[in-house]
Amino acid sequence: MATRDTTEPTNQSGVSTDEVVDWKTKLRYFLNSDFVRSSPYWGIPFILMGIAVYGGIGYNIVISFTDYSGLQPPSFSGLDLEMYRTALASGAFREAAVNNFVLLVSFTVISLILGLFLAILLDHGIRYKNKVQTIYLLPMALSFVVTAQLWLWMFNPDSGVLTVIVTTFGFDPIDWLGNPRLALPAVIFALVWQFSGYAMVVYLAGLQSIPDDQFEAAKVDGASTIRTYLRIIVPQLKESSVSAAVVLMVFALKAFTFLYSLVGQYRPPNGTDILATLMVRQAFKFGKWAYGAAIATMLLLLALSVIAPYLAYQYRQGSL
Amino acid sequence: MGRIQLDHLTKRFGETVAVEDVTLDTEDGEFLILVGPSGCGKSTTLRMIAGLERPTDGNLYIDGDHMNYRVPQNRDIAMVFQDYALYPHMTVRENIRFGLEEEAGYTAAEMDEQVEATAADLGIVDLLDRKPGELSGGQQQRVALGRAIVRDPEVFLMDEPLANLDAKLRSQMRTELQQLQADLDVTTVYVTHNQTEAMTMGDRLAVLNDGRLQQVGEPLTLYHEPANQFVAGFIGEPMMNFLHGHADDETFTGSGLEYPLDDRLADAVGDTDELVLGVRPEAIDVRRADEATGEREPGPHEFRMQVAVSETHGDQNVVSMTVDDEETDHDALRAVTDGMHVVTQGDSVVVTIDPETVHVFDGETGETLCNRLLETDPELAAVSSN
Amino acid sequence: MSQSTSRSPIDVESLVENFNYRRVGKYALVVLFLGFFLVPLETGIMTALKTNSAIARSLPFAPPAGEGFTLTNLEYAFSQLTNSFVNSLLMAVPATLLNVLLASMAAYGLTMVSWRGQIAVFALFLVGVFVPYQAVLVPLSQFWNNMFPLARMLEPLFAAIPFLQGGHSRLVPLTITHVAYGIPICTVLFRSYYKSLPNSLVEAAKIDGASITKIYRRIVLPLSLPMFGVVFIYQFTQIYNEFLFSFTLITGSNHPAAPVTLILPAIGSSTEGIDFGIRMSAAFLAALPTIILYVAFAEQFAKGLRTESG
Repeated sequence: MATRDTTEPTNQSGVSTDEVVDWKTKLRYFLNSDFVRSSPYWGIPFILMGIAVYGGIGYNIVISFTDYSGLQPPSFSGLDLEMYRTALASGAFREAAVNNFVLLVSFTVISLILGLFLAILLDHGIRYKNKVQTIYLLPMALSFVVTAQLWLWMFNPDSGVLTVIVTTFGFDPIDWLGNPRLALPAVIFALVWQFSGYAMVVYLAGLQSIPDDQFEAAKVDGASTIRTYLRIIVPQLKESSVSAAVVLMVFALKAFTFLYSLVGQYRPPNGTDILATLMVRQAFKFGKWAYGAAIATMLLLLALSVIAPYLAYQYRQGSL
Repeated sequence: MGRIQLDHLTKRFGETVAVEDVTLDTEDGEFLILVGPSGCGKSTTLRMIAGLERPTDGNLYIDGDHMNYRVPQNRDIAMVFQDYALYPHMTVRENIRFGLEEEAGYTAAEMDEQVEATAADLGIVDLLDRKPGELSGGQQQRVALGRAIVRDPEVFLMDEPLANLDAKLRSQMRTELQQLQADLDVTTVYVTHNQTEAMTMGDRLAVLNDGRLQQVGEPLTLYHEPANQFVAGFIGEPMMNFLHGHADDETFTGSGLEYPLDDRLADAVGDTDELVLGVRPEAIDVRRADEATGEREPGPHEFRMQVAVSETHGDQNVVSMTVDDEETDHDALRAVTDGMHVVTQGDSVVVTIDPETVHVFDGETGETLCNRLLETDPELAAVSSN
Repeated sequence: MSQSTSRSPIDVESLVENFNYRRVGKYALVVLFLGFFLVPLETGIMTALKTNSAIARSLPFAPPAGEGFTLTNLEYAFSQLTNSFVNSLLMAVPATLLNVLLASMAAYGLTMVSWRGQIAVFALFLVGVFVPYQAVLVPLSQFWNNMFPLARMLEPLFAAIPFLQGGHSRLVPLTITHVAYGIPICTVLFRSYYKSLPNSLVEAAKIDGASITKIYRRIVLPLSLPMFGVVFIYQFTQIYNEFLFSFTLITGSNHPAAPVTLILPAIGSSTEGIDFGIRMSAAFLAALPTIILYVAFAEQFAKGLRTESG
């Protein structure tokens, strides 16, 4: 065992240890740092994703300030908010915005409620619970394109399943998708069918994280099942509700594909035009690129107004 | 060879200071223990030595070489983690071999030989082809040690390596670790929050609290000559008794009792107003009232108290006592008595506190004003063998 | 006394009865919702197997009977979809593989290795999950058609490959697009998994002297194989099902490179309206790969979904 008094190889005792770390050492440290050495790993995907997502968004915003349309290349000389003014003044835009809002809110709320109900139902010692859950979630695995075909047939006024049901009860057949007042609710119904299973899965995961003894304690206290759920369990599912709601809203914003596939054309059924369909129609059918870009920007703002508070909340919770 | 020097080492995470201005110097081959309550910065200090955290300020040297800017693999260290951090998808053999593969100058055959030899030393040859998931906690612990030893590093770093073992295995591994460290003669820095572990294993202890180094020294020095009230309270189980009060006219007045200060204590106190008297539980003499004084008045350093709780441990008893009057919020005294000397709850007792065994701390700063008297060296040896 | 003894058996009985009602009610609801979720699918399959006259006459959800049964619709739909199946796979398989690999690397760099500012970088990935694709659609078509017409450049090359036509070159930009926009969600999925691995594994490997690359290759990659399965299944389904990018970059449903989802809304429609026998056959066939994957890997799929919600 060497004693501490042996000669010191380098000078490092006392005040003189404030040795000047030259830039070479610092550079070497920087090049050796985890930031630099891990950068190929996250950097390549980040650049690819960054160009696609943020480059795309940025360029889209720039285009929305031009009056780019048709086959001429865009001119970036006179940038203005003309397209936004046109959109806000347009009746079609306002109708699409209202429809979008109605779709977003009612689809999300109904899916959450149905999902919660299903989760509680399945959480109650049901046999074959996993198999049932798999089936409830099955529509989620299907493409919008496929489900649109299925519901087109379900809603068919001549011989669709819903027509059969309605006529069985003695009513006249209803043209669900042809009636502008019923088309949007019909679409919402179909989307709820497709995605309430998702809300259920999220709630089931939330329910499973609540310890069983809370149910038992409530039972011992003599609370009824419904009361137990309403007063004790549901309030604890706030986190699940928030995250499920956000994801459902994102699904709702992607409803374009469903609406397009329903009719196979740019114009969705009357009364179901939303910002996404309007945008694609204006841009890709009529070649009004700048106008479409402006609508897309506003759609993005709508999406961000949902996401930003959620992400901020997650960040503050430290769960990001 | 393996000498670690921390020079005004500081680590801040944003606003919070995890380690503040720690200066510490190990000797080569020393077993140094970093000990303190959780959150005291001991693990952060260890991680800075390992290179897993970069110091915000100050310098770190191993073997005289400046380490601040070096990545872990260039520091010639090995570390044992609290959760062992064995790679779950590799066999024990692959786990131990993994680190060797990065060391230059080994052929494959030499590596295998090294792994076998290390496994033999630790008695885990039979486990070499199993996966960590199939091992018991104690076996995983040995594999983790093997992984550290096989590379023959300059420095061992251990982050609470025994915390996940059950009590019996822990005391067994304690002995083994000490033995191993002595055999390998490699400088070891060992982090624990367990003061018993610290006292029994370390050549020296460094006590940390709130990111600051409180005291460094040999176990018995810390026990008998703590630098401040924190160290006095942290080292020793059951904990040192603290009596809070004031000094008037060479008399200490605490809640419910007065204790005359002898010249030694009075000198140390000087004109400090707020005081804390510290007495180790084993330094308190407890006798049943009827046996002790009979009807005579208690002496100046004797007090009548009542037994509140008496814990029997077999070899000794831990007795909690309060002053025998109506008020309830007095400091309780805890004493350790001989196993054969049983008092029961509610007993009236006479407590004697010899002034030579009393520590005095500044009530505001916690600094030690004076420590107990230690007589001769043989006496100290006797204390340590108890 | 007598009152209580006479009442207690009744109590037990009513309890049992109550219990049974509850059970029956519960299972009735479960079955009702099984119907709710399955009827559109079942109706579609039954319709696919019927002749046109049987479709007109029978209940839509009733199975085909006797004369009404036919496989003609399925055969026709299959012949219409064969090429597009190949196209979908040519695009979805490489896109998913690249996606999964890149996302796992990104998540590794953003989770297992720690450096300042990685939360901010990750937040950018996370926002990418939620961006509606309409917001990048105009630039996307601009980019691939005017600024960097990769498809046109590769056309001669693809024309030279047997079984493919020059038009298939459009699958290349489509695949790259899917990779780029799929990275965020896959990174989020991987990151949540990597966060659940103990940090000390990477630290131990660092102290053992392993480089960042060796840690990834020897420790992280083998440990995340199960997660590779989850993300692969999930992302393959997403890309296979996707419509908007194909719609933007390949445009027509009669284009040789059109994937399944692009063709499906056009199959079986004529001036007289939609032939639902053919349309349902096509829908069923188009959905079959995802249904098979889903049924075989239901647990992985559900896990992917649960992770997505954080």
